[in-house]
Amino acid sequence: MPEAPLLTSIRKASPDDSSTGDTAIRVDKLNHYYGEGELRKQVLFENNLEVARGEIVIMTGPSGSGKTTLLTLIGALRTVQEGGLEVMGNQLRGAALAKLVRVRRKLGFIFQAHNLFQSLTAFQNVRMAAELFGFPAERTSRRITELLTLLGLGHRIHYKPDSLSGGQKQRVAIARALVHQPPIILADEPTAALDEKSGRDVVTLFQRFTREDRCTIIMVTHDNRILDVADRIVNMVDGRIKSNVLVKVTAEICEFLRHVPLFQRLTPGSITEVADKVKSEKHKAGAAIVTQGDEGDKFYLIRRGAVDVTRTEGTQSAPLNSLGEGAFFGEAALLTGEPRNATVIAREDTEVYTLNKEDFQAVVAASASFEEELRKALFQRH
Amino acid sequence: MIRLSKTPLAFKNLTHNVRRLAVAVAGIGFAVVLMFMQMGFRNALFYSTVKIVTDIDADILLINRAQYALPARQSFDFKRIMQARSCPGVAAVYPMYTETVGTEWKPASGGKPYSIRVIAFDPDDPVFLIPEVRAQTSVLRQPDTALIDSRSKKQYGIPETLKLLREQTGAELANRAIHLAGTFPLGTDFANDGNLMMGSANLAKYFPMRALGADPLSTVDLGIVKVEKGTDVSAVQRNLNHRFEGTELSVYLKSELIDKEIGFWDHSTPIGYIFSVGTIMGFVVGVIICYQIIYSDIADHMPEFATLKAMGYRNRFFIGLVLQMSFYLSIVGYIPGLLVSWAVYLALAQGTGLLLEMKLAHAALVFVLTLGMCTASGCMAMRKILNADPAELF
Repeated sequence: MPEAPLLTSIRKASPDDSSTGDTAIRVDKLNHYYGEGELRKQVLFENNLEVARGEIVIMTGPSGSGKTTLLTLIGALRTVQEGGLEVMGNQLRGAALAKLVRVRRKLGFIFQAHNLFQSLTAFQNVRMAAELFGFPAERTSRRITELLTLLGLGHRIHYKPDSLSGGQKQRVAIARALVHQPPIILADEPTAALDEKSGRDVVTLFQRFTREDRCTIIMVTHDNRILDVADRIVNMVDGRIKSNVLVKVTAEICEFLRHVPLFQRLTPGSITEVADKVKSEKHKAGAAIVTQGDEGDKFYLIRRGAVDVTRTEGTQSAPLNSLGEGAFFGEAALLTGEPRNATVIAREDTEVYTLNKEDFQAVVAASASFEEELRKALFQRH
Repeated sequence: MIRLSKTPLAFKNLTHNVRRLAVAVAGIGFAVVLMFMQMGFRNALFYSTVKIVTDIDADILLINRAQYALPARQSFDFKRIMQARSCPGVAAVYPMYTETVGTEWKPASGGKPYSIRVIAFDPDDPVFLIPEVRAQTSVLRQPDTALIDSRSKKQYGIPETLKLLREQTGAELANRAIHLAGTFPLGTDFANDGNLMMGSANLAKYFPMRALGADPLSTVDLGIVKVEKGTDVSAVQRNLNHRFEGTELSVYLKSELIDKEIGFWDHSTPIGYIFSVGTIMGFVVGVIICYQIIYSDIADHMPEFATLKAMGYRNRFFIGLVLQMSFYLSIVGYIPGLLVSWAVYLALAQGTGLLLEMKLAHAALVFVLTLGMCTASGCMAMRKILNADPAELF
C-alpha cells in the first residue's frame, strides 16, 4: 500500500525533469584546477560518476580530497573547466551564468553553517527559498509549516534564529533546502550539528523524499550513524574517485563471497575490499567466457549458472570439467603468466564476478592464506 | 490564486539591529542637518539682503544701471520719476531715498556711534508692505521723528518696550537729536546692521548736503512703479525700457531685481561658493557614513547572501536589495534630520534675526540630495554583495 504523501506538494512535475530519464547527474572525465599560471594546481583528476534519480549518495574522503569541489561543480556554483557535467539533463560545461542560476533553482543546498538571516523568522527564512518560483501562497505556507513541524520545530515556526539552538537552526536550514521540492539536494555534513535522534529524523525524511519525489541526494558526511541510508558510497582521495560503490550490490557480493570456500578465511575487511573491486558479467548459454591460448587478464567466480571447461590438445578437444555456482576459474593464467590453458563455455545463462589481474594480484599479495587456499584448490582440481 | 509575495528583506535587515539603525539614523541625520544648515544660512543671507526689496509694494522698480548690488548705492535724478509717471500704463511712481553716508547713530544709552541705514519716502506714498510701517505713516510726518528697525543689532541700543523707546531722550542721528516714535521689523544684511525709517522731509533736514548744491531730495535711489489695474506689467516694463533707453536707468520687475541681487551675491562673491562647498561637505560626510553602514551590513550577511545566490537569486535581486536599503536609510535619516534642522532654524531665527525659513523647495532639494547620497553609497557598496561567492559556502 503506498504511503500517503508526507507534505503538501507545490511543484508540478516540469517537463524537463521527466525528459532527463533516470540519470540525475553525469560526471564525465571531469578535471578541475585552482589558481592561475604557475600557481595552477589540479584538484580533480578524470572523475567519472553517474547518479540515478532517487539515489542517496554519500561522499567520503579526507579533507582536501576534492569532494567539496566536486559538490560545488555539481551545484552549478563553479564553472566547469574540463570534462563534462550534466545535472538534470543540463550540460554545465560552457554554461553562462544565467544557465547556472537556472540549474541552481533545481537544487537544494544544505551547508555546514546554517546561514539564516537573523532578521527573519524560521518561517520567513524558509520562505525566501520558495519566493523565487511564484508558487501559490497558501499551499506554500502550508508546506513550510508541515516541513518545520516534521523537523520538530512546530513550536518554533515564528521564532528568529537568535532564540533557536544550533540544532534547531540547522533544521531550519534543511527545511529551506527542501521547501521548493528540488530534484537534487546537495548537503555538506547536514547532521553534524544534530543529536542522534534529530539526525536520524532528517535522514529518514531524506529517504522519503527520494521515494516520493524521486529526489536525488548527495551528502558529504563523516557521520557513520547515517551511512546505512546510502544507496551509493563514493570515496575520494587526492582528487580522484577511489571507489564508487552501490551499497546494496556490494553487500550482496560480500554475502556471496563469505560462503565461497576460497574466501572463507579472509577477514571481513578484505572481503569488502574484494567485493568493491569485482565486476559482474552476464553470459548467455553457449558463449565462450575464456578461450584457450588467450592472454589471461581476469579471474572469474561463478555467481549463478554453470560452465563447461574444455582443453584442446593438438586437434583433440576434451571436456575437462564442469563448474557450478561458487566455483572459480581463470586463476592459473594469472598466477603463472602463461596463456589460457582451457576454454570455458557457459552451459546455461551464467553470471560471473570478475577481478582484473592487478586487483587479483593485490588480493593475493595481501593475504597469505588466500594464496594457500588457492593453491590447495588448484592442487585438488588437477 | 494568490502567488507568494516577497519578504521585505532589506527592511527587516535594516531594522533588526536597533543599535546599528540608531547609528545610521544619527549619522545620516547629521549629514542632513549639515546640508540644511549650509543651505539655510546661504538663503538667509540672500533673503535678508533682498528683504528691503521684498517688502516694497512695487510692480516695477527703477534703479541706476551702475548699482550692481544694493549696497553699492547709485542715485538718479528726480526728473526720471516724473518721466516715468508719464509713461502709458503707469499708475504711480514713488521715489525712495536711502542714505548710508554720514549716518552716525548714537543711541540714547550713550556709547560709540554706529553707522545706520536711513530709508526715507514721502509718508503719503504707500511704499512698503510692512504693516507696522503702513500703520505709522502719520508718525513719519512729524519733524525730527523716525522709526527704528526692531531687528537692528544690539549696539543700536533699542529699548525693550515701545514705551521706553518713546520716552528716551538723547538719541542722535548725524549729530542731531532725533525722536523715535516706534519700530518696524526689517532685519540686517551683509552691509547694514541697523535701519532707520523717516519721512523724506526729515531726510532733507538731517542730510542737507545729500545732493551737493541742490535739493537733497532731487537725487533718488529707487523708483517704485505701480501699474494701472488690469494692465500687463511686462508691457509697462517694455514702455519704461523704451522710455529710458540710453539713460542711466534700468527697469526691473520686482522679482527680477530680487533674482539679480541674489545672483550677484551667489555668483559674484565667494559667499554662494562657500555655502555650496559646505553643502557638498555635508553630502560627502553623508556618503561616507551611509557607505559604512551599508557596507558593514552587507559584510555581516555575506554567507546569507551567498546562500541566496546558491538558491538561484540573480544579481538583479541584490542590486534591488541594496537600492532598497539606500532608500530606507535616506528616509529614516532624512525625517529626524528635517525635524532637528527645523528646530534649529526656529531657534537661530529667534536668536540672530537671520531669515532662516524651512521652505518646501529646499526641504525637497535636501531630500533629493539625501536620496542621492544614500544611493551613491549603495552603489559603492554594491560590488561587495555582487562578489558574494556561493562556492565558498561548502
